[in-house]
Amino acid sequence: MSVTSLLENYSEFRHFHPVDDVPHNPYKWAMSIDLDACSGCNACSVACYAENNLPVVGREGFAHGQAMHWMRIERYWDEDGREFPDQGAQFLPMMCQQCEAAPCETVCPVGATNHTPDGINSQIYNRCIGSRYCSANCPYKVRYFNWYDYPTTDNVWPAEMNQQLNPDVTVRGKGVMEKCTFCIQRVTVAKNNAKNEGRLIHDGDVQTACQQACPTSAISFGNLVDPESKVYKQWKAQQVELDKDAQIKDKEEGGSELRGYRIFEELRPYPSVMYLERVRESAV
Amino acid sequence: MNSGSIKQLKKPLAIRLGEQTVLAKSLVMAEHPFDRRDFLKVLGWGGAAVALSGCGNGSVEDGKETVVSYVETNDYMIPSISVYFNSTCTQCDAGCSITGRIREGRVLKLEGNPDSTINRGKTCGLGQAGVQHHYNPDRVREPLLRTGDSGEAITWEKAYALIAEKMKDVSGEEIAFLSGGVSGHLKVLLGNYLDSFRSKNHFVYEAIAPAVMRAANKKSYGVEMPRFNISKAKVVLSFGADFLGAWVSPVHFSQQYAQFRKGDEDGQRGVLVQIESKMTLTGANADRWLVVRPGTEGILALGIINALGAAGLRLSGDVAGAVKGYDKARVSKDTGVSAEQIDKIVALLKARTPSLVLAGSAAEGYAHGSQNAAAINLLNQVLGNVGKTVEAAEVVPFPQMAPTTGNTAALKKLNDGLAAGKYKVLFSYAANPVFTAPGAMKFKDNLAKAGFKVVFAHYLDETALQADLVLPLDSALEDWGTQVPEYLATCAQINIQQPLMEKLHANTDGKGTRGMGDILLTLLKQRRAEEYKGFADYYAYLRGALLKNKVALGGHKVDDDTFWNETLSKGIIKLEGHVSALSSRSGTAGLSLPSPAAIDAQYPLQLIPSVNASLRDGRHTNQPWLQESPDPLTTIVWDSWVEIHPRKAAELGIEEGDIVEVTGKNGSVKVQAYLFPGIHPDAISIPLGRGHEALGRYAKGYGVNPFQILDAVFDKETGELALHETRVKVSKTGSRVIVVKDEGPVGGRQMGKKIAARLPSDKVKLSEEI
Ligand code: SF4
Ligand code: SF4
Ligand code: SF4
Repeated sequence: MSVTSLLENYSEFRHFHPVDDVPHNPYKWAMSIDLDACSGCNACSVACYAENNLPVVGREGFAHGQAMHWMRIERYWDEDGREFPDQGAQFLPMMCQQCEAAPCETVCPVGATNHTPDGINSQIYNRCIGSRYCSANCPYKVRYFNWYDYPTTDNVWPAEMNQQLNPDVTVRGKGVMEKCTFCIQRVTVAKNNAKNEGRLIHDGDVQTACQQACPTSAISFGNLVDPESKVYKQWKAQQVELDKDAQIKDKEEGGSELRGYRIFEELRPYPSVMYLERVRESAV
Repeated sequence: MNSGSIKQLKKPLAIRLGEQTVLAKSLVMAEHPFDRRDFLKVLGWGGAAVALSGCGNGSVEDGKETVVSYVETNDYMIPSISVYFNSTCTQCDAGCSITGRIREGRVLKLEGNPDSTINRGKTCGLGQAGVQHHYNPDRVREPLLRTGDSGEAITWEKAYALIAEKMKDVSGEEIAFLSGGVSGHLKVLLGNYLDSFRSKNHFVYEAIAPAVMRAANKKSYGVEMPRFNISKAKVVLSFGADFLGAWVSPVHFSQQYAQFRKGDEDGQRGVLVQIESKMTLTGANADRWLVVRPGTEGILALGIINALGAAGLRLSGDVAGAVKGYDKARVSKDTGVSAEQIDKIVALLKARTPSLVLAGSAAEGYAHGSQNAAAINLLNQVLGNVGKTVEAAEVVPFPQMAPTTGNTAALKKLNDGLAAGKYKVLFSYAANPVFTAPGAMKFKDNLAKAGFKVVFAHYLDETALQADLVLPLDSALEDWGTQVPEYLATCAQINIQQPLMEKLHANTDGKGTRGMGDILLTLLKQRRAEEYKGFADYYAYLRGALLKNKVALGGHKVDDDTFWNETLSKGIIKLEGHVSALSSRSGTAGLSLPSPAAIDAQYPLQLIPSVNASLRDGRHTNQPWLQESPDPLTTIVWDSWVEIHPRKAAELGIEEGDIVEVTGKNGSVKVQAYLFPGIHPDAISIPLGRGHEALGRYAKGYGVNPFQILDAVFDKETGELALHETRVKVSKTGSRVIVVKDEGPVGGRQMGKKIAARLPSDKVKLSEEI
């Protein structure tokens, strides 16, 4: 195999998760986020702090780019040079996209971040050596590094505040990388409950913390290989396919009328989060 | 994390509750020698119009399995298994119902309770941070008495004795009780306590309340707070009402908004037009955001009515008369909104019905705020929205428990009384006027003239620091209560607040925190021992009160214990309330709007103090998640900023990060500049809520407090503080900082990538979506 052939036919050689024909059976966790419903209110982000033991880094830490918000709301303005943003702003909830072919995974020297059979990009804290290569290689910049030992840092979790920590979620120490887990602790509980009842998780059995809080119900979360799940139906209706780096519908002349898209799809990380485009009234 | 440091509860919740259940059972009516009417008043059911049956109250079995009543035995306390208790969020007054997740006796997380028609299982970020109010390291833990310049911790016994002594010879006029908005049984007890002195001096103050809108609604619709059906509207025209942010009932409106966008009924997506001088979160979500010259919103509303008339809408004689002078050319000149834009709005309003017009900061902000609000409400009437998207809300049938809403007019009255040295004893609860009163009122100086100042406090805030006696309160997650929300979504309802865990700072050595209800009950016993002696504590009182009215509360078929357990397990009592039809008097009488004010040469800019959904009036600023939660529009954290339009900034030579001095007639603040396109160039905006000199480690010393430089200008009709009427000038100080914010170095640009994408509405078929 020549290098030329490798480069030209890269998609054939490329390693996919998973490698066999049955993609993620019985679970493949995925999301869809409706940007026309999302108001940019930040409730999801705060809910994530509460659920996942995220440290507050303070003004200094934030200034140094050390914020730990697994879920952040990006705000964009129109770029057409008008004096006033008369079509409002654009908000985008951004967190780990749980890529199927995650760029962060391939660069980890110790395999601390890898793919679960459920299709989630996981982070093994006690294997992580803090090289931060994963963060450098993540196209979405959603990995967060523990520059300090937050549990012992002043005013992060002072007495009483520490009682709020979620016992289902590890409190991370200095020198490890962390990121959105799709609330894996909730998924695990739901999986065990379902297993005890001898069944699979039904749609709605498990909600992520951000989804549960979101006042506009902009976030849907579920099992992409369950035809009964809302995310499955949404992805299907929007004709967004997980294992494509360009969707067929986008090749239509004049562009698609469907709102579903994935960010940086063309980079081939095969993200598990589909966004639905924001809509703006044409009549005004 | 050293898990050993996590405090294990010595006593599970239910044991303590077992004791209380016993206490409650010993409550026998016959012990009370006074008559039934008095008794009803004691319990808060006084003045009830009718006994009503419940609406939507099933049995406990209908509820979630995981929702267990607080009074069950402690069998359910299985290590590592969470249990869930229902309660009510008190982070703002919207009255969302919450479910607390509790494990090993600790409350870990709050979720929305899906059974509430207000929030339907959802919460806002502020609500999420409720646990940080409870676990806050800066809570006051013992009663504090000031002696000269120093304070000492005292016991509750001593504190109560001191109050009894101070209250001995005062008359009703010499007492002042300041509080935030109150409802439910707390309001009943508070009222009864003041009654026992024949005092009418209950001052209900909220620093940022929609008080002008309430008054205007009362005039136009006959009620202060009708129901706004955003989801039914095809067009929402909002004059600065930030209903997705901090306005009235944001979680409820956010859900309605999502339905409105999807066009739930017919697949036609609702259109949002937001008209304001400074972009709010709602404005950022608008299809069309129109910047208007500050204060001219009413003129624009009348201009739209005029244009609707010209476009063929039939106007009644008085309306046509009222809007006669407001032709497009003049309106456009006054407001800065182009004639073409007015035409577009008119066409939209005509083509898509029903619409809904909302009056927000336009009403609250100006000396002619009432007139603005009246003009905006008139637009609703002209469009025929009253009865469609503006509907009568249900009213809780127990007036004694109905919410008393606050305003700044009350503060002004109190302030005048204080200045005149009228009060010997002052109580303050759920308000922090030393922080929130406009600087021009000199509230702090006047407060010093009160004889004895008792402040009920969670933190040592700016007001508590001025107190003679500080009484530490239980957190909202430790306390009992009932609450009636001002804005009711569908059913009338009473919300139940119950402890989600043991007190963190228990009453050891006679110190520790107490619940506000318990304190009031003790104070009432000092006055009317006979009437209240049957109630060992507030829990017993509440239980007694609710059981007394069991039938009207939907419990006619069940015994007392079942009813009580069901009530606690649901966390909501749904009622059949009254609905009285809205009146639709078109309010043209006395409608007169001033022409836009000329620009003041000395203070050329209008200061808009903005209300952030998380920080609001600043009472929760010591919750670090809120400090670190970026402002949605600027993405700034942990600090204040002043928003300046890029054009104005260029004129003044100001760049992002310049520390500028904002000076008005009543002082100045120095704050970092942020160039913001969503603001009128003749206005600048500083968010409220930061700039604390006290409160706690996460609040003190971060940012500036614009309340301190506000001029004391009031709405002419209601006497409300006109928040946007302060004129200022801006000058550079020469120093610079790097603004600490979440957005990257390229600001809000996507650099040609498809990141946050957008489609025009004529391209999508929402009705075919899932
Ligand atoms: S979004 Fe970033 S962190 Fe998440 S899986 Fe993809 S590359 Fe890894
Ligand atoms: S909570 Fe929902 S509406 Fe608010 S920012 Fe997050 S996704 Fe958007
Ligand atoms: S709007 Fe937010 S803060 Fe207010 S009651 Fe609801 S959840 Fe709590």
